[in-house]
Amino acid sequence: MGENGAGKSTLLRILSGDYQPDQGWLTLAGHRLTFASPRQARQSGIRVIYQEAEIIPGVDVAENIYAGELPRRGPFIDRGRLDAQVREAIKEYGFGTVLPAHADGDKLSPAQRQLVEILRALKSGVKVLALDEPTSSLTDEQVESLFVLMRRLRSEGVAIVYVSHRMREMLQIADRIAVLRDGRLVAVRPVKETSEGEIVRLMVGRDLTEVLERTPSASSRVVLRVRDLNSDWHRGISFEIKAGEVLGFAGLVGAGRTELAKVVFGDYRRNSGTIEVDGRVVDIRHPSQAIAAGIGLAPEDRKGDGLVLIRSVQENVALAILRRLSRLRFIRAALERRVVREYVDRLRIRTPSMGQQVAKLSGGNQQKVVLARWLAAHPKVLILDEPTRGIDVGAKAEIYRLINELANEGIGIMLISSELPEILGLADRVLVMQKGRITGELSAAEATEEKVLELAMLDQLTVESETA
Amino acid sequence: MSVNGPESREVKAGGTARRPEIPGAVRHVFSRVDTESLSLIIALAILVIAIASQTDKFFLPRNLLNIGQNVSVLGLVAVGETIVILAGALDISVGSIAGVASVTAAIALQHTSLAGGGVAAGLMVGLAFGVANGLVVTVLRVNPVIATLATFAAFRGIAFLLAPGGKPVGVSNEGFINIGVGRIFDTDTFPGIPVSLLLLIGVAAAVEVMLRYTDFGRSIYAMGGNPAAARLAGISLNRMRIAIYGSSGALAGLAGIVVTARVTAGEPASGTQGLELQAITAVLLGGAALTGGKGSVIATMLAVLLVGTLTDGMNLLGIQTFYQDVAQGLLLITAVAIGQYRAARAERARTRTG
Repeated sequence: MGENGAGKSTLLRILSGDYQPDQGWLTLAGHRLTFASPRQARQSGIRVIYQEAEIIPGVDVAENIYAGELPRRGPFIDRGRLDAQVREAIKEYGFGTVLPAHADGDKLSPAQRQLVEILRALKSGVKVLALDEPTSSLTDEQVESLFVLMRRLRSEGVAIVYVSHRMREMLQIADRIAVLRDGRLVAVRPVKETSEGEIVRLMVGRDLTEVLERTPSASSRVVLRVRDLNSDWHRGISFEIKAGEVLGFAGLVGAGRTELAKVVFGDYRRNSGTIEVDGRVVDIRHPSQAIAAGIGLAPEDRKGDGLVLIRSVQENVALAILRRLSRLRFIRAALERRVVREYVDRLRIRTPSMGQQVAKLSGGNQQKVVLARWLAAHPKVLILDEPTRGIDVGAKAEIYRLINELANEGIGIMLISSELPEILGLADRVLVMQKGRITGELSAAEATEEKVLELAMLDQLTVESETA
Repeated sequence: MSVNGPESREVKAGGTARRPEIPGAVRHVFSRVDTESLSLIIALAILVIAIASQTDKFFLPRNLLNIGQNVSVLGLVAVGETIVILAGALDISVGSIAGVASVTAAIALQHTSLAGGGVAAGLMVGLAFGVANGLVVTVLRVNPVIATLATFAAFRGIAFLLAPGGKPVGVSNEGFINIGVGRIFDTDTFPGIPVSLLLLIGVAAAVEVMLRYTDFGRSIYAMGGNPAAARLAGISLNRMRIAIYGSSGALAGLAGIVVTARVTAGEPASGTQGLELQAITAVLLGGAALTGGKGSVIATMLAVLLVGTLTDGMNLLGIQTFYQDVAQGLLLITAVAIGQYRAARAERARTRTG
């Protein structure tokens, strides 16, 4: 285990022969090994399976498993023998019901793709099987069957390296847990002698308690007021955010929260309703107008909507305030550097330089770059859509602290999150959405997981009869 | 032109100084920034040696001047194409716009007999046609490749329609002609520097400065790198696209003016046909990403010099134009293939840290 950027994936890449170690070596069953290529690693029985399983689309399961070594008869594939071999393999490991041998490669679910990879590995006599976040795209049921398989392989003498963020799974499946931090092996603990708290402490290097402490700071001044907003996704949305308030938006996926953020920000169309910022009605039809009015949006899809990955940290941070940094349209270089430096320091963005390509930063640091951009724009309202999705525990803690700080400075924060503890811990008030409507409002004191979920999953019929 | 442009120095300083713990990064930064320009220079040197070994005409002052004059037309168009490609789009119509501008400038000269009148007419027409491209792309939402492929054909037709009888329109204004054939600093021993080459250098430098130091330039790189993110950062993509196609059109118009001045006639086709292919080749050969967000005018100019030298060499060696066309096509494929290879390598380097 370890935070994002701790070096887990890199370690697996070395294990797979993809990268070469600068120093040191691997030993397998007492033999010292050096791999010049992934192929050599595979031949010596080490197999690494990445998050994105490598599947050949347009080709069925059987051919995928035997890719590169299909049984042949003359110039043709010996379909009969192939099918027999594959069916036997699938049955042997108990996947008869979940993995049809003739399913097309690109129609497979992530779980099925992983099975194909694992079968590929087993077929070639694997001794060490490494799995990188194998359960991130699996359902609970699929996770359970993966664990059944892993236990079986373990009893057959296969060593398994299992990389995951999920503490519960780790404690359930592992014999020993190794914790990495900043590229170092911090500790190896037998599962029976450790606890969740200890592992987190080892990963982060400090205690995680107190992180979700919020000191309420809402004033009486309303910075954002939305009235009777209708859009292609929403009906009759009204709410207000006060200066210094964190307003949480809870709801199931598809409730329309991300869309609401984009409608308010002018990226999606608003059909009717008004938006007021700081008491003044603003007609927002484009993000530039939202920004001019004092709204910032850190979008849910960081890489797709937030960052220009191939450009530098500096350019990404300065992107929303180019005009302010310019005189006669020329960017004032010294001013830009100073402003960017200020926010990079404040957010403690870990980057070798301001000129570093954003693509090369870890997820947590990328998110901080997006936040730095909006802080530099001095917004009155900041919309944060899933601000901690896909980032590690340490960066999460920093972002929680930052949200608290920003609210205390008087910014109104619209916090959208699918992680209930996050909403419950940070929000001063919680709005629950369902199918494009607001179905309830809870104060921080009365908000509990049960109440939020109840409102989020409330039967749509009762809502309609109430409003009718 | 300096090889070690400010950008490469900047990136090197920022990229390597603070991370001595990863020696691979040094090599990586080098491979990304420097080798792109460096490999162009090496290719150019090899090409020059190859041509010069086959003919002693290459180093004649007259020939070198010819290269300078020839690349000025291509260069102006390529500067505009660089802007468009950096923004993640493409402009196939630049050669046709240059043709229209060439004819228009000549007609305006006949009517006003003022050099400035010809220049203004060529520029205005180029700008207007470029903006028309931008409107087709934004208002009608036609894909940039298709939009400018359509106007590529339509604008060429307009060029022929404007020229009476589809024939070249003669020009005799001395001042105007100097734009194409004039030299400065010429002495008995030194044939002088072509005015058109100086014009190109000035324009290229101005556009490079614009790209690097203005908010407009920054926005171009941002929208090329990720249009969704640029929009959410408050950049109006439609306005940008119109401005970008307008710039490209105006620069193509300027190229058309140089053609008219060089051949002392407004030419609807001759001298501007095939410019789009050469310009796109040069931009991509210069290392710009076809997907946008990466590249520079300086790199494009090096590539223009390479393309210009290659064309000149083939002319000197008496290679038939058909073979030259084949060579042009192969060069474009080579440029894109090299770009793909670099992108794949950068992608691998990226996953390395993730």
